[in-house]
Amino acid sequence: MNEIFAAVSGFFLPALLLLILLHGFVKKAPVYDLFVDGCREGIQSAVEITPYIIAVFVVIQIMTDSGALGLLEKLCAPLLTPLGIPKELISFMIMRPVSGSGTLAIVEKIAGVYGPDSFLCRCASVMMGSSETILYAVAVYFGATHVKKMRHTVASGVAGYAVGVWLAVLLCRIM
Amino acid sequence: MSGVSCLNKIWFGMLAMGFLCYAAGQSPSGEGFGNFTQGMLQSCEDAVYFVLGLVGIMGLWSGFMNIARGSGLIHALANRSRSFMKYLFPKEKNEETIMMMLMGFAANIFGAGNSATVFSLQAMRMLDEENGGREEASDEMCMFAAVNMSMLQLVPITVIQIRADAGSAAPEDIILPSVLSGAAATAVSILLCRCCERRAAVRGRGRLSAR
Repeated sequence: MNEIFAAVSGFFLPALLLLILLHGFVKKAPVYDLFVDGCREGIQSAVEITPYIIAVFVVIQIMTDSGALGLLEKLCAPLLTPLGIPKELISFMIMRPVSGSGTLAIVEKIAGVYGPDSFLCRCASVMMGSSETILYAVAVYFGATHVKKMRHTVASGVAGYAVGVWLAVLLCRIM
Repeated sequence: MSGVSCLNKIWFGMLAMGFLCYAAGQSPSGEGFGNFTQGMLQSCEDAVYFVLGLVGIMGLWSGFMNIARGSGLIHALANRSRSFMKYLFPKEKNEETIMMMLMGFAANIFGAGNSATVFSLQAMRMLDEENGGREEASDEMCMFAAVNMSMLQLVPITVIQIRADAGSAAPEDIILPSVLSGAAATAVSILLCRCCERRAAVRGRGRLSAR
């Protein structure tokens, strides 16, 4: 089962490219011209989201460097430990909505300190696979639009995140 | 909570907290804000390098998606996936937008991080256009962003790699719990979004009839 999942993941992008190219060729579409036009638009989008990326990167750096993250960790601990969430994972949970690479670094550290097959490391790994960088996604996605009022988007995303993380701990205890 | 004030507050709050914590952690004989400034400048540089990488990938995928649009592939595939997307986005009519959103979901599920960003951004722009560039997000935008934010990933490949490198006996054994909790997270986001949509619709109708 696991091997099948892994194989499908590895083939998704190459298969998609091939499908698009072959279909374009068969339908006699001007593939090169279409590619260049689309590419131009893509580059434009990338440049336009730069301000949002810088805003997110800077705030993460400052939060980590200053020890503000550690402080948040201490504040959240009394709320989360009664739910059965190990206190070693709280910094991970705070970092997760903000930064993908930051959380990966924490997983690496947990794997080194407690061992890759420890309950803590499995928990962190499962949380990693079942959640996304919410803050980054909100800032970048909506940065590409004219929207100022995101209504219930953030609440729905955060609720999903909370359920995913909590379930990750439960499942790691029994699986 | 309206969106922009929400991000304004979060961003300001996080920065202010960082400044205060850094100042509080300084001893009188310490090096002052030297490290702080350096970290800040470094992160800007990191951000630009990140964008540079993204420019290439976004260019590539947007190029290929444009071929798919031109050749009619998007049209053909959108017809096949109608029923699932119809549940999430009942009011969405534009095939290309539906297809772009579907690609965003698929790329997320298959763990194609940056490519997923490309599809999702493009989809958001198309939704924005259909929304007439208004300041209030449409139901479709909220649903799309919320689902994408809690999207499960089939094979968290980087995590598996980290565990394998650390000498795990079975680095892949996290896949099943991770898919299960990810699916639950996505379901919760969808349901909550749908509830909020309904409530907003009811309130909107009330407002109309009051007039």
